[in-house]
Order: sequence, then structure tokens, then C-alpha cells
Amino acid sequence: MRPVRFRKDFPVQALIWSAVLVIGILLFCVPLVRGEESYTFDVAEIEKKPYSFGGYVEFRPVLNILDKDAALYQLQYYYKDPRSNLMEWNGRLQLEGSYEKGIGRVYVKTNTDLSYSSFADGDERSAFFEAYGTLKPSSAWKVEVGKKNLKWGKGYAWNPVNFFDRVKDPNDPDLSLEGNIMVTADYVRSFDGPLKTLAITPVLFPVYDHINDDFGINNRLNVAAKIYLLLFDTDLDFIYAADGSRTARYGMDFSRNLTTSFEMHGELAYIKDFQKPALDAGGIVRSTTEDAVSGLIGIRHLTTFDLTTILEYYHNGTGFSADDMENYFRFIRSGYQLYQTTGNDQKLRAAQKLATGGYGRAGPTEDYLYLRLSQKEPWDILYFTPALTVMVNLNDWSHSITPELLYTGITNLELRFRASFIRGSRDTEFGEKQNDYRFEFRVGYYF
Amino acid sequence: MKFALSVLLLLLMASPAFALDGTALLKQVDRNLNPESYEMYRKLINVEPDGRKKEFTLFSVKKGADKIAAVFLAPASEKGRSTLRLGDNMWLYIPNVGKPIRITSLQSVVGGVFNNADILNLDYAVEYDVARVEDAGNEHLLYLKAKTRSVAYDQIKMWVDKGKKLPTKIECLTEANLLIKTIYFKDHKDFGGGIVRPAVIETDSPLYKGYKSIMIYAKIKKRSFKDEVFTLTYMPNIESLR
Repeated sequence: MRPVRFRKDFPVQALIWSAVLVIGILLFCVPLVRGEESYTFDVAEIEKKPYSFGGYVEFRPVLNILDKDAALYQLQYYYKDPRSNLMEWNGRLQLEGSYEKGIGRVYVKTNTDLSYSSFADGDERSAFFEAYGTLKPSSAWKVEVGKKNLKWGKGYAWNPVNFFDRVKDPNDPDLSLEGNIMVTADYVRSFDGPLKTLAITPVLFPVYDHINDDFGINNRLNVAAKIYLLLFDTDLDFIYAADGSRTARYGMDFSRNLTTSFEMHGELAYIKDFQKPALDAGGIVRSTTEDAVSGLIGIRHLTTFDLTTILEYYHNGTGFSADDMENYFRFIRSGYQLYQTTGNDQKLRAAQKLATGGYGRAGPTEDYLYLRLSQKEPWDILYFTPALTVMVNLNDWSHSITPELLYTGITNLELRFRASFIRGSRDTEFGEKQNDYRFEFRVGYYF
Repeated sequence: MKFALSVLLLLLMASPAFALDGTALLKQVDRNLNPESYEMYRKLINVEPDGRKKEFTLFSVKKGADKIAAVFLAPASEKGRSTLRLGDNMWLYIPNVGKPIRITSLQSVVGGVFNNADILNLDYAVEYDVARVEDAGNEHLLYLKAKTRSVAYDQIKMWVDKGKKLPTKIECLTEANLLIKTIYFKDHKDFGGGIVRPAVIETDSPLYKGYKSIMIYAKIKKRSFKDEVFTLTYMPNIESLR
């Protein structure tokens, strides 16, 4: 990674100062209304309607400072004129609605992403993120049919036991994701004594043409189940996913408050006969099949002065070794040289296919450390939360450091500014990412 | 001799006033504030020193001594967030995140002076022992001590109206006697079903100078629930109880 020199006309300072200025104006200079001493609570505000509508709209400009020598830059932009920065203009619109009658409820959430960048023309993608019906014949039973997320696991940045959902981005773990079509049921019982709750969740997960067909082997009805226990004040889940579109998987997770301000959580996943296609040093794809074990252990701690620390160690048993990653980056580099000398991009296309097959996923290697520190309302500034996130690849010691400012003081408006510093030497995960720096400003409004 | 006997008799007659059962009084205060199992609506208003306000509306349900759950109805950014408390265990469910995460009683899901323990408050008698009771004119002053270290405030000083058996003011203190916040109970209102209690709770804190938070109560009524309502599985569906 080479140091970047900012040109005079470079927009990075402009983006940073604009974001800081906007947050500053909203923090301190918004027209103020004097507090009234009488407060009202109109009962009409809480009148229940059978239907509800709502949504979220977001504007998110992103400035990427590119690393032209990085393998993933060459893979993504080999056919474009080289450049050192990339401005993205992103927009998102989410609409949600529900209708409830008796024991039934229907819920729909749509998502539209718009993006425009100086490298790619405008792009638009719309999808139903969730669309499902719920039947709740009693407080102990619930059946849901449709497109939804399961969100299994206790980890914040990663969830190795989340066998069915799309993999979340550890850089933004709270983002909503597109669900899958499935049938689930929940049966829950409460008890007195050390076992307070028992819940059983069977799952039917079909994979056919046009139904979850990107999940795995087609024409399979996948079966899974989760058992949840609240035992001795500890959340425990035991998970089984039978052999089907993917090989059989077993999982367990736990979460427990050791003290009022100290929580500990963990996940363990065992995957039978996991097939991993990896490039060897000669650029040949060799597939190995072996049982894989993935795990996560983490803590969440809150100090008396409202500093929240989340620390997680993640071992990805299905991940690539540092050597595998090095082979992949060299394969890209040789493909890029081939393209530059002959115009033949066959090798780069093969590398792109390998990216979708695993090399390009979030967290492709074996061992990671995640640290997030967030300080709530420092200096008595209500709704203001600065945070710092550090993610380290423990196999090659490349890393990203992301300071963040979040302000939610205006009803339904959320402002977030982030700067990511992506560090690592050649042939490492973060060192070969397309950008060295990333500055993002997000304005979100709920309605 | 007669005089001595009279004095002794007077002292014996007077002694019940000094032997006020603090625990019984605290339990009476709890019952006067809320039925043991209930549903209710609350509006939380955080007021900043410059007068800016942010409002939240919640629907809450409670069963027995240690089960309570709440869901946010407004504003739109918080709608659908729910919180659950089972004894010392607390969870927060955020629709986008899609799964409950453990939280602590000292955190605040809304920001401002009220923390999770204030929003998901159990009966005082469940969490505190009465250390002593003092006479304070028209009020009793109860000194409460947390039963365990997992309780949000180590000590509480509670001023209780002698006639109404309802609190007028509460001071929440640390183990070292430092004031964390003061809660004022105002605006007595008849909610029906024999529930007459303060409809407004106001709080301020030396830790948040110039800030205050207000909680307004509406539609408190007795209601019974199945235990299964107070489980992680049920958290996304608490609003369906309305």
C-alpha cells in the first residue's frame, strides 16, 4: 500500500468538512424551541390500527481513495482508465407495511438501492427484503411462511451458526439484509426454576428454481431446527441443519451476563464434508472436502461512564489460509499482466468467478479479531455517539480502523460519518483491497 | 407509682407508631403505583437544556414480580424496538438487527436521564429491602437498600405521602452515597379500576446538568398474560397484545 498524496482539488477534505459541519450545525445551531412546562399525552396517539406503513430513506456519498496496485482494484477495474479516487453516490429506500387481523398478520418490506459512481454508471436494484405471513393461534405457538431472516447466533460482527441467512457485513452488522423463502414454527414454554424458557423452532427451507436458488444444490427441501433454552440465566441455542442443498451442520451458541455490565457470548459450528475450492501456487483450482469447525467468542462491556466495548475473536473453519489468499492475489496479478499485454481477460474473469465462490465474501480467511468502542453521549451531548471499530486479520495482520460519529438528536433523522483506514502489506487481505481509505457520510430518515 | 405506670402505658401505646413496618409500606406503595400484572402506555420526553425535546411512546406489559416487556410505538426510528426483562436478565430487540441482544439495567435504550431499569422497573419491594423509615412531616422517608449488586441503584431514599401511600420523590444513590438522579411523582390521576396514582414522573440528574426526562402514563389497567409472552421468541410480537 502506497501513501496517498492529496491533490489540491481533492474532494476528501471537502467531504470530511461537509460532514463535520452538518453534524456541528445540527448539534449546536438548530433553531431552538424553549421547553414548555406542561406535557401532553393524547390517547389518539396510541389508538391501534390494523394496518401500519413506514419506511426509511437514505443518502450516502462515499469517497474511496483507491490503491491502483492492489489485486482487488485490478480485478474490479482492469478495463477502466486508472484513477486514484472514486466517488460513489448511494441512495436507499425501504418501505414496510403490515396488516393484522385476529391471529394473522402479513408483513412486507421492500428495498431499493440506487448507486452512481464515476467508474460505473447508475445502478438500481429493488427487492422484497421480507414478505411473510404469521399465524399466532396462542402465545405458545407461531407459524411464519414467506421471505424472512432467521438471524441465528449471538455474535455481533459474525455468526458462524447462522446457516441460512445471507452473510452480514462485519463493517455494518446492523444493516437489514434480504431474506430467504421458508416456513418456520415456534413453540415456546415457560417454567419456574433454573430452566425458565424452552423454545423449539423447526424450519423448512426449499431450494428450487426461482426459490432460494442461490443457496446451494437445487431441488432440495432443507430441514433444520433450533432449540432455545434460558437455563441458569444463560441463553443457549442448539441448532441442526440436515444434509440437503448444503452439507449437514451442527451449531450451538450462548450468551450470559456475568455481571450487570459484562456480557459474554459464543458460537460453535460443525460443518460436515465442507467442500472448499482453493487455488494452488500454480493457479489450479483444487477442491478439498473436510469437516470444518468455526467458532466465535466475544464480550460486551459497559463502563459507568457509558463506554461500550465489544470484542470478538472469530475462527472461520471454512476460510482460506494466508497461503490460499496469496495464491489468489498472485493469480489476479498474473491475469492483469496478461490483460495488459494481450487484452485477454479470461484469467481475470475466472478470478471474478472465484470471488463469488468464496474469495470475495466478507471475512474470507481463517482468524479475525473485532473491537468496537462506542462512547454514548460524551460531554453531555445527548444522542451523540462517537465510536471506533478495529478489525484485524490475525493470519496476515492486515487490518482496518474505522472512527465514526453518530448523531440521532433530531426525531427520525440519523447522521453518521465514518472514515476507514485500510492497512496491510502486499498479498494480505486488507492490503489487497481496492481502497486504502474510505470516507462515508450517511443521512437516514425514518418515516 | 401511678405516674410511672401512666408514662409506661403511654410509651407502650405510642410504640406502634415507631414500629411502622417499612416492608409492608413499600409493598403497599408498589400496589398503589401499579397492579401486579398490567398493561399501560407511556410517553417519554427527553428535554435538553436549550429546550429541545425528543419523545418516545411505549406500550408495556407486566406479569408477577419479575416479568416485564415493552415495545416502542413512536417515533418511526424506534418503532418495533422491544425490551424484555426477566428478573436480572434484560434484552433489546431491534427489528433491523432481527435478534434480541442482552443489555444491562444501567444502559438507556432511549438516551437521556431514564435508563433501562427505570423503563422496565419491577416492584421496589422485589429489588430493595427497607433499611429504615423516618418520619418527615406529612411523609414517611424510606431508606431502601438493594438486595443484590445487580440492581441499578445501590440505595434509594423514597418520600411517601402518609395519606395516599404513594411516593412523591425518590433519590437514587450509589453505594458511596452519590446522587445519581432524583425522580419526582406528579399529577395524581384516576386511571379507573381503582388505580389512582401519579400520571407524570419527572427526573433530573447531577450527571446530566440541565437535562430532564418526563414519563407520562396513560391507560394503566389490570391484565393477565401467559408466561410465554415474556420470552425472546415473543419479543417481535409484543405489539400484537395491544
